[in-house]
Amino acid sequence: MNSSPSPSNSSRFEGCTLTGALSVLTEIRDAVCVIHGPSGCAHHNFSLLHATLLSNDRLEVPRLLSTRLTEKDIIFGGEEALESSIARALSLSPAPSSVFVLSTCIVETIGDDTAAVSAKAWGVPVIAVPTAGFLGGVFETGVRNALSSAALLAESARERTLSANLIGEKNLEYGVDENAAEIVRLLARLGIGINLRFVRGIATGDIGRLGSAAVNILREPALRPVGEDLKRRFSTPFVDSFPVGLAGTCRFLADIGRICSVDASAAIEEEQAFQREMLSRFADLKGSRVCFRSPHSMLEGDPAAEAVLAECAIALDLAVDPDGTPIPLPYPAPVGTAGVRRMLNRWRVQIRG
Amino acid sequence: MARKSHPTPNYPCKRIIRTMKQIALYGKGGIGKSTTAANLSAALAGEGLDILQIGCDPKHDSTRMLMHGTWIPTVLDLIRERGDEGITVDDVVYRGFRGVRCVEAGGPEPGIGCAGRGIIATFQLLERLDALKGDVIVYDVLGDVVCGGFAMPMREGYAQEIYLVTSGELMSIYAANNIAKAIARLSRRVRSRCSLGGVICNAKNIEGERDLVEDFARRINSRLIAYVPRDRVVQVAELHRQTVVEYAPDSSQAAVYEELGRAIYANRKTSIPTPLEMDELESFAFEFVQV
Repeated sequence: MNSSPSPSNSSRFEGCTLTGALSVLTEIRDAVCVIHGPSGCAHHNFSLLHATLLSNDRLEVPRLLSTRLTEKDIIFGGEEALESSIARALSLSPAPSSVFVLSTCIVETIGDDTAAVSAKAWGVPVIAVPTAGFLGGVFETGVRNALSSAALLAESARERTLSANLIGEKNLEYGVDENAAEIVRLLARLGIGINLRFVRGIATGDIGRLGSAAVNILREPALRPVGEDLKRRFSTPFVDSFPVGLAGTCRFLADIGRICSVDASAAIEEEQAFQREMLSRFADLKGSRVCFRSPHSMLEGDPAAEAVLAECAIALDLAVDPDGTPIPLPYPAPVGTAGVRRMLNRWRVQIRG
Repeated sequence: MARKSHPTPNYPCKRIIRTMKQIALYGKGGIGKSTTAANLSAALAGEGLDILQIGCDPKHDSTRMLMHGTWIPTVLDLIRERGDEGITVDDVVYRGFRGVRCVEAGGPEPGIGCAGRGIIATFQLLERLDALKGDVIVYDVLGDVVCGGFAMPMREGYAQEIYLVTSGELMSIYAANNIAKAIARLSRRVRSRCSLGGVICNAKNIEGERDLVEDFARRINSRLIAYVPRDRVVQVAELHRQTVVEYAPDSSQAAVYEELGRAIYANRKTSIPTPLEMDELESFAFEFVQV
């Protein structure tokens, strides 16, 4: 029955499947998400998404619609309520180009067939996404289910271009766009552009071109099942993570080059020079005593982040000492050279007090 | 010196409430629970008692014979149509033969929704309407205790005595044994008052049936409280949309139901059942069936 994908690093991966799916699907700007369940399931997610948008200076309102089930619907079945909510979603102005139907714990318990209701001839794509949390999934499961469901809108046969897709950006995290910009900068060294940010600030119609990239770049290894799924459907190879750390960034360039049949050696040399130049700006930190620790006693350290810290300590000739300045392990691990630079700026503030 | 603490006082009001007898009939689907319940209610009403029979099955056919074939509106149909705000006792309680008050919980259409939650909602409404009163309340419950909702009548404040209706057929005994498991489980709860009142054998005319059911009852720490023989008059009465007690009051079958009523009404001996394990049940069946 339940199989909890026990995360190795931290409790951030837990949480509600529904929230994970919404963090993806609300970034399809012309879609409406119908949450099939009691109104509270929509409300707390609306609050979370709205607050996150505001803190990123985006004055948008997530387009969520609840089927607002009550005990009556639970006893007699909620499928009628779902039908009328889908109809209501389609009558909104501006009309959505797609509708995603997300299930909740109670409707999966009573056996409402959300897929069957969604499959009716609605005129626009209406896609059911399984998101009931009690089945053992976590936030990540919701992200994966949402990505695989949204991928149903892609056209199967398309001409390939020398371009990459970003798969599963962490839309609720701080620095999403900075991280994407770093990937754009790195790929530019190889002459590769971005085909689609799947899913970040796109329209339903954009998903059509999902299959035309030469490579899919997953945000993190937890998304491997999605990478495999897309590989099966579109034959697109993938790298399983955004680049992490200085050496990791160069490895990333090599991996992308190999997959896309582009010679990456010049790009890697340029990037290494860029990294040396970046590190030279932090020469003043040389010899400082630091102590790396988990950002919170409840969280385990991210091994990827620990590796980056060790790498930076060596590069900057820092002394790691239990009595040194406490430096919290970053979460998520810094992306690319730019991510390391931002992290080192924070270190400087912490070391100098 | 500290004074000795008082024993828990007996509240007289509670004693009065407890004089109301609440019983529930459980058993395999099609075994004759509703026929037994309706005839039991009719017989008890004949003793001058005020009876409330509540059908707790989405098929809502428990009280039909008491209502002379009329399908009364179910509680859940009313909730569905009007919401539960404006519903009164008169909307849900109907008087049938000998003034037996009849309620049908009803439920969703087959294959959708959650019938168990429907039973819970029905009970909550009946509580709020203060409809759960009389000398005897008879709960007639769906064959299998498939979820918590169908165990609702066994919970605190409802049926204190459960009667298992079974024939001598193995599947029927198996279902009865499962229900005994539910009773045993619920009786472990704090404040639980639910226990097994006895086993009713609703015979299918199988050889040695009475002995078999009697032995089963004993093995689960209970007893056979009545043996209801198979009689054609039951079907004939049903065709006339009546209970046997009404259709053929002088028949021997009517006398059986009257005796059942007296036995249950007078019953003060209940037990916590000790359900059989599956292999015990199978070897038990072998003892009685000629192979």
